[in-house]
Amino acid sequence: MPGEYNPYLFIVVMVVAAIAFAFAPLLLAWLWARKFSPQKPGPDKNATYECGLESKGDAWIHFKSEYYLYGIIFLIFDVETIFLLPFAVAFTGLGAGAFIALVVFLLLLVWGLAWAWMKGVLTWR
Amino acid sequence: METLEQIKSRITHALPGARIEIIPNDSPAGQRSLLVDADHGAAIAQFLRDDPELRLDYCSNATGVDWPEAVVKTKIKKQVIVEGVEKEIEETLETLRSGCLETVYHLYSMAKKHGPVILRLRTENRSDKNHLPSLTPVWRSCEFQEREIFDLYGIVFDGHPDLRRILMWEGFVDHPMRKDYVGPDDYDYEPTPHDDVLEKTKQHQAAEVKA
Amino acid sequence: MTIEKPKMDEGLRNELQKQGVFTTTLEGIYNWGRQNSVWPLQFGLACCAIEMIAASMARYDLARFGAEVFRPSPRQADLMIVAGTVTKKMAPQVVRLYNQMPEPKYVIAMGACAISGGPFKQGYNVLKGIDRYIPVDVHIPGCPPRPEALLHAFMTLQKKIENQPLTGANRPRHLQADAPSEFPVPKFGVHDLEPPSNPTVWQSPKMVRA
Repeated sequence: MPGEYNPYLFIVVMVVAAIAFAFAPLLLAWLWARKFSPQKPGPDKNATYECGLESKGDAWIHFKSEYYLYGIIFLIFDVETIFLLPFAVAFTGLGAGAFIALVVFLLLLVWGLAWAWMKGVLTWR
Repeated sequence: METLEQIKSRITHALPGARIEIIPNDSPAGQRSLLVDADHGAAIAQFLRDDPELRLDYCSNATGVDWPEAVVKTKIKKQVIVEGVEKEIEETLETLRSGCLETVYHLYSMAKKHGPVILRLRTENRSDKNHLPSLTPVWRSCEFQEREIFDLYGIVFDGHPDLRRILMWEGFVDHPMRKDYVGPDDYDYEPTPHDDVLEKTKQHQAAEVKA
Repeated sequence: MTIEKPKMDEGLRNELQKQGVFTTTLEGIYNWGRQNSVWPLQFGLACCAIEMIAASMARYDLARFGAEVFRPSPRQADLMIVAGTVTKKMAPQVVRLYNQMPEPKYVIAMGACAISGGPFKQGYNVLKGIDRYIPVDVHIPGCPPRPEALLHAFMTLQKKIENQPLTGANRPRHLQADAPSEFPVPKFGVHDLEPPSNPTVWQSPKMVRA
């Protein structure tokens, strides 16, 4: 129906333009590559490692499970600092209840660390 | 610091049987050094490090020297009476020096702030008896330098924790810092004022023509 | 034989430019874009690298030429600045890095060592110039060359890129399907690298007998 105005037409035009804007350079580059610059793959160019040295052995090796325990313990204390920072900023304005709550929280984590330590997770074998 | 004579007498006192020689130095530096026998090398190094007077706790430099077999000419002045007149005649003595490989260690004391004491160890010959004790267990800083000496001079260090080539690749043959090392014959022509390079280029190209 | 390309009339072009209409060729805009965004590979081999770093810093400001982005990966680099002594032990790595760069790629050999071995020529451990294994576009003499020399080499390379034709028989290597993009990586031999040079890239200069 000519002349009828649809308010969503703008969005459709915008979406089409956005997609064209994103894909037109890719299409042009693809056409350019087809027309002018030929692909030249090779064993060196397709190699994964980019330091000039030849890679030795297999990358698909078994990793020790201790590493993940170690990583998780690190992550817990890493995330803990996110809680500690606002606590430290607002420390003077907080009451005793908040202080006790946070100390309990900290001690729970430290307890976990001590338990892992006793289990020998922190020693790298 | 004590003189080398004092150090030598104290070492021979502490380690009976150790053979030590003081090498003179005629150059303006006049830095004399201790030549130590290879069998007692490690023990002497340990003594120099742990002795409370010396405390040579830092080995700043370890290097190698190649001494090929050579005829050494020494000039000696002699008083000879010719026809009743005393005359001075110069005579040259030719002695055959046997070849050896040598390592030189420069030792300092960080604790006592003195040094250097220069330690030399020599192998028996340049071909098969090329073993020397490693001083890496005494001074950890020797590790890479002893590897380099092994790489470039071919001295095998007994007791070294990780004796591999360090500068040249695995599979390299010979030791390039030895005086009799012959490099690959790859002299290309180049416009150069160095006559020996041009001479080698000519030899190289003559060989190519023959082949 | 050179084929004269159809060119736009200069007068018409100037007239259009006065009216605010700019014309160019596809080749012109392609080369203009490439020559002003040459990204070097970030690596240095010896003391020449210090001069290269100085050239990229504020005083000499390599960024003026669109080359400030030193890429840490060969996949993203267009230019290899071989800055420093190439030892025989390092040469295979340099060639492999060059092979891993995507086309179009260019090489500047910076300093006496990189172009010929320099003071270490005929030494047991130094390669007598990286141009024995990979094609070098610009050689810079000097020990080490000053940053201005590197800038000059850069401008020389930009001129070279500007004049590279997009079509025709003498178009550059990266536009030719049968031209190689990878060069053989030398192997460690008994005394030297094997082969000691790549004959398709480098030939020994011939002695001229007077």
